[in-house]
Amino acid sequence: MIALGAAFILLAADRAGNLRGKAPAWTPPPKAEPRVVEAPRQPPHHDKVEDLPDGKGREAAFYTCTACHGVALIKAQGLTRELWDNTFDTMLEKYRMPPVKPAERAEILDYLAEQFPPRRRARSGDNPFLK
Amino acid sequence: MDKASTTTRRTLLKGTAMTGVAAALPTGVALAQATPAAKGPKLLEMEGKAKLVVLGDRPLVAETPASLLDDDVTPTDKLFVRNNGQFPEMPADAKAWKIKIDGEVNAPIEIALGDLMAKFENVTYQLMLECGGNGRSYFTPEARGNQWTNGGAGCPQWTGVRLADVLKAAGLKSSAVYTGHYGAEPTLAGETDKPTISRGMRLDKAMEPHTLIAFKLNGKDLPLAHGAPVRVIVPGWAGSLSTKWLKRIWVRDKEHDGPGMGGFSYRTPRKPIVPGSKGDDKDMAILESMPVRSVITFPADGAKLAGRKVDLRGHAWAGDHEVKSVEISIDHGVTWKAAKVNAPANKFAWQRFTATVELPSTGYYEVWSRATDATGKTQPFAASNWNPQGYGGNPVTPVRVLAEA
Repeated sequence: MIALGAAFILLAADRAGNLRGKAPAWTPPPKAEPRVVEAPRQPPHHDKVEDLPDGKGREAAFYTCTACHGVALIKAQGLTRELWDNTFDTMLEKYRMPPVKPAERAEILDYLAEQFPPRRRARSGDNPFLK
Repeated sequence: MDKASTTTRRTLLKGTAMTGVAAALPTGVALAQATPAAKGPKLLEMEGKAKLVVLGDRPLVAETPASLLDDDVTPTDKLFVRNNGQFPEMPADAKAWKIKIDGEVNAPIEIALGDLMAKFENVTYQLMLECGGNGRSYFTPEARGNQWTNGGAGCPQWTGVRLADVLKAAGLKSSAVYTGHYGAEPTLAGETDKPTISRGMRLDKAMEPHTLIAFKLNGKDLPLAHGAPVRVIVPGWAGSLSTKWLKRIWVRDKEHDGPGMGGFSYRTPRKPIVPGSKGDDKDMAILESMPVRSVITFPADGAKLAGRKVDLRGHAWAGDHEVKSVEISIDHGVTWKAAKVNAPANKFAWQRFTATVELPSTGYYEVWSRATDATGKTQPFAASNWNPQGYGGNPVTPVRVLAEA
């Protein structure tokens, strides 16, 4: 009888948390570090993927490049792959474009170099010093 | 086009105070709807603006065709627009807009525009504003950037205070050698805590009496598209120095190094490089005084003439220098005839030239103009000193006409 009574008392004390000392019954997990939220990106323009010429890498180029500026700026260029590559670096360094994985960068550069190479030709033909 | 976007487009030119404009601002400018068969350049559809040629709608870049540059004083609706980022909000209270002058000065200034206008002598000049990349489209092969013809330029009337007076009031230290300008333009990504572009100039150009902190364009408050409520005007040098929506001028003890100052930006090679090559940004000179340029504004390119006698006219300019002569050719440069060149309205204004030429027959002709400045520099026949960013393209360009009778 006494053992049963003692058991009830123990249970009650346990439920009241008196047996565990001052430690709280439950510690919530630590709050996640608040993420720095970038300035919300406005829908940049009325351009659509189809405003760029069709080709492999069109979507990657469109979504990477037109996050900031419109397609008109892209279509007006006529650059070698080397100069497109330099341009890509400028976008990353000067204009803080988010990093792009190497495979995707290669796909975008292939697309840009194929679709928007130098088109203006000098009167005397291609420069002999350019390979 | 919906009512909201029409209203906000109107504010870009009229400058009516509106709250929440930034959120509602059109992120692209509605372009003239081309019929399916139509080709040719996209034209600007913006209230208060002429049909400028749109080179890009984000950022907004629109140039003035040569035939729309015919006025002696460029009207506001015909002035080119060149943004680097997004439009900021139209200020609710222009006179309360604060401008800061700090750095190598004895007494840094933070002054409201209304006080600036009252405290310093107001001056009005007709001053050239020209994009640093004007003429870029003439490079072969293509150089990187907006493909301007000659229309990234205009010569309206500006009212403001002399930057020199404001710098003197702040008291320049002996260490002061350069300025760095900051405007309220959000970046294309919408950031307001980082500049899209921040350029500056040597102090002697800052102290030149025609370099202004300007608040009126052609006698009216600056429209939002042109930098409301206040901007810098640095006439004759690259337009990016004429910072719109001006917030701060940092007086520095060394060459400014904000975005747009280093690398290939606004620099041309000291030794000519192979056109189309990568270039090396180590041996370059900063573009300062813009090179000599001329445009025939009448007749227009593509005009059909009723006779063989042509009374042509145009404008010429040359950065810090006056234009000394303009010559006209109708035979691809074999022979030249001197045009009459008027004096500028004031230093750094463009100059009107006029000439009468007699075409030898009916038929197709190209009319060329070639200007020479007071230092003896003449326009080349092809864009020269190729550089990856395409600065300094100032060749002779044609107006093509058909004489029919």
